Amino acid sequence: MSASAAVSSVGSPSAARAPVYALVGNPNCGKSTLFNALTGLKQKVGNYPGVTVEKKVGTAYSQHGQPMPVIDLPGAYSLAARSPDEAVTRDVLLGRRLDTAAPDRILCIVDASNLERNLYLVHQILDLGRPVILVLNMMDLAAKAGVRIKVERLEKELGIPVIPCEASQGKGLIELKLAMSRPDLPLPRHRWDIPSPIAPAVSELQASLLEYDRKAPLSARAEALLLLTDQDSVRVAGSTPLTARTTDILQSWKVRWEGQGVDWAATLVASRYDAIARLCADVLERVSPEEEGPSLSDRIDGVVTHPLWGWLVLGGLMGALFLSIFTLAEYPMTWIDDHVAQLTDAVKAAMAPGDLRDLITDGAIAGVGGVVIFLPQILILFFFIGLLESTGYMARAAFIMDRLMSRVGLNGKSFIPLLSSYACAIPGIMATRTIEDAKDRLVTILVAPLMSCSARLPVYLLMIAALVPGETIPVGTKVGLMLLMYALGTSAAFGFAWLFKRTLLKGEPPLMIMELPPYRLPRVRDVLLQMVERGGLFLRRAGTIILGISIVLWFLSAYPKAPEGATAQAQMAHSFAGQAGHLIEPAIRPLGFDWQIGIGLIASFAAREVFVSTMGVVFNAQSDADDTAPLRQALAAARWPDGAPLFTPLVCLTLMIFYVFAMQCVSTIAVVRRETNSWRWPLFQIAYMTGTAWVVCFAVASIGRLLGY
Amino acid sequence: MPSPLQPSGQPERLPLCQLPAGASGRVYELSGEGAFRERIRELGLGESTVVTKVSGQSPVICRINGTRIALSHAAASQILVERFGSGA
Repeated sequence: MSASAAVSSVGSPSAARAPVYALVGNPNCGKSTLFNALTGLKQKVGNYPGVTVEKKVGTAYSQHGQPMPVIDLPGAYSLAARSPDEAVTRDVLLGRRLDTAAPDRILCIVDASNLERNLYLVHQILDLGRPVILVLNMMDLAAKAGVRIKVERLEKELGIPVIPCEASQGKGLIELKLAMSRPDLPLPRHRWDIPSPIAPAVSELQASLLEYDRKAPLSARAEALLLLTDQDSVRVAGSTPLTARTTDILQSWKVRWEGQGVDWAATLVASRYDAIARLCADVLERVSPEEEGPSLSDRIDGVVTHPLWGWLVLGGLMGALFLSIFTLAEYPMTWIDDHVAQLTDAVKAAMAPGDLRDLITDGAIAGVGGVVIFLPQILILFFFIGLLESTGYMARAAFIMDRLMSRVGLNGKSFIPLLSSYACAIPGIMATRTIEDAKDRLVTILVAPLMSCSARLPVYLLMIAALVPGETIPVGTKVGLMLLMYALGTSAAFGFAWLFKRTLLKGEPPLMIMELPPYRLPRVRDVLLQMVERGGLFLRRAGTIILGISIVLWFLSAYPKAPEGATAQAQMAHSFAGQAGHLIEPAIRPLGFDWQIGIGLIASFAAREVFVSTMGVVFNAQSDADDTAPLRQALAAARWPDGAPLFTPLVCLTLMIFYVFAMQCVSTIAVVRRETNSWRWPLFQIAYMTGTAWVVCFAVASIGRLLGY
Repeated sequence: MPSPLQPSGQPERLPLCQLPAGASGRVYELSGEGAFRERIRELGLGESTVVTKVSGQSPVICRINGTRIALSHAAASQILVERFGSGA
């Protein structure tokens, strides 16, 4: 004990508690693969409060079975954060977050084939005053590129354990676990001279941070250095602002440097790179000459980023994605649907009729079943996205889309969020956290729900069925109308993005710069793990909210009770929901909707697909999304009090258009509220989307009536 | 190939987006916003880095020390490089 304490007091955990590791590294260096290999399936995925950045915690086991918790941090190029997820990495490492204790030790993973660039982050991390283990991943790629890394030399220079490994093959894991379970890990010996014009400022800031901001002695220097490069534009919940004293020191130095023409941030970055270059000259040895001519990745890039072929490849992949979402998903969706129905029947058979039984079947099971049914589509989507990401193609796709996106003032990084939103806006909005620019991120969040999500599908299908006379719907009409709705939503998303970027959220189109990882064969295990993880998050997030809302809605449509012996229809009219339908009728009358449709609109505010089941109850027909025939007949029979048919083709079309635009999803609102940390943006979103829906529907209904429909 | 506009003996300076595919150069100057310049530097594309243009107009793909970096045309126009093999 005493021997280890002499080596490092921070790094040696007390006997009672195992050291907590944080895993950090650049994007694309194999961090998730290593995390999965270390912790297996023992992972807990959650969220950092205040930001929707995933918090992944797993447990690795030493050779003696001792558990060692590992926190997986979002990939970052630098501790000077640019996007919300990089800010989480910085704040956890610096112990700034109240919800996550600062890790005891840091596991730093680098891509060995790209050592120089990767060492930049390592260089900053060595400043943190904590024991670090450096993992040289992808040693095989480095060897293939003809580079030998003198591991012992690197160990000696940095004063920390350096473990070569190939995480995807499981090579080097035992050595890594052995190093991780060492009770005594040395603190890094870090020889790096801060450039002379800046050094006095760093010491002054360090002293002030120690004394006034109560930073830990070992990390105060790192904090001081970070203050000079980090614009701190991405402040997140949990990090405390600087004291006035420290801010003053920082300001006065900046003023002095500006007067002297010193670019302090550039000087710091350059001096780190200089130190890294000297280190690399020492530890890297070229054993075979650099390959001449374009590599395989270059040749692939020649095709997929080509002005013409690039679009064709992207179009083909997107086509395949949509095809599989809408066809492949059908089988598991039918299966889920059948089982939900069986469960409902089982509950009905097992319980005596009454409100409690109805609450369980019509409220809880129907509501949650309505969400679970979209799980196959979500899983397929994430499998595809994961596959494309792990091969390295996604970075290219973002760049191809950048050409299109920049026309409306967004950049290519908004592509994945918008693409995901075709399945469901919730994962789409969650994916915006990689967007660096806050305004861009907000615009993407605001327009994402306009992309037609899968919850709109049942509504579209029902309305198309009701719109077309005759028993069977011609495939051409079905596909044509469906495509029209998707096109309408997509162009609206781009149109509004353009509008918002010019008015509310003005800003220069951001400059896009991204690392293009070399193409790799996808690691199916990692892709599947990620898919299951995303699916689980979706279920939990949407499931809990929907369950609550479904129960409330059931209550609203079941109470107050109609007189004994009333039909379900009469009960609906009598209920709170029915009263609400009557209440909003004046507002929707101009669109050609009556109070009964109004009930559907109100109920489906919880989730769009609820419209179908509500129509089923209102018009007293048993139906579901797959079998619209009976409901379709019921809708065809529906009449206004004066005997005119309610669901004319025009009304069906108007309703579809209403659902294209209107913000009818409580889960999305909840997620937007969390992402933007205010009620302002979700409320604005409801107002602009539903407002647009009303205006467009009014225009369509008026023109349609003028034309005599 | 010396440019007629440049006095001979001076290396040719041009934005990265105009560097022909296959050519190499050294980063001379970064312009644009502070945050953008810093991210570029942190990615290893700081002043005096040797950069080889691989392909493209948009995105511009270039190679720095074994890493492939893609930049939009607008981003590449903010990076001034001194072309190797020009001038002197």
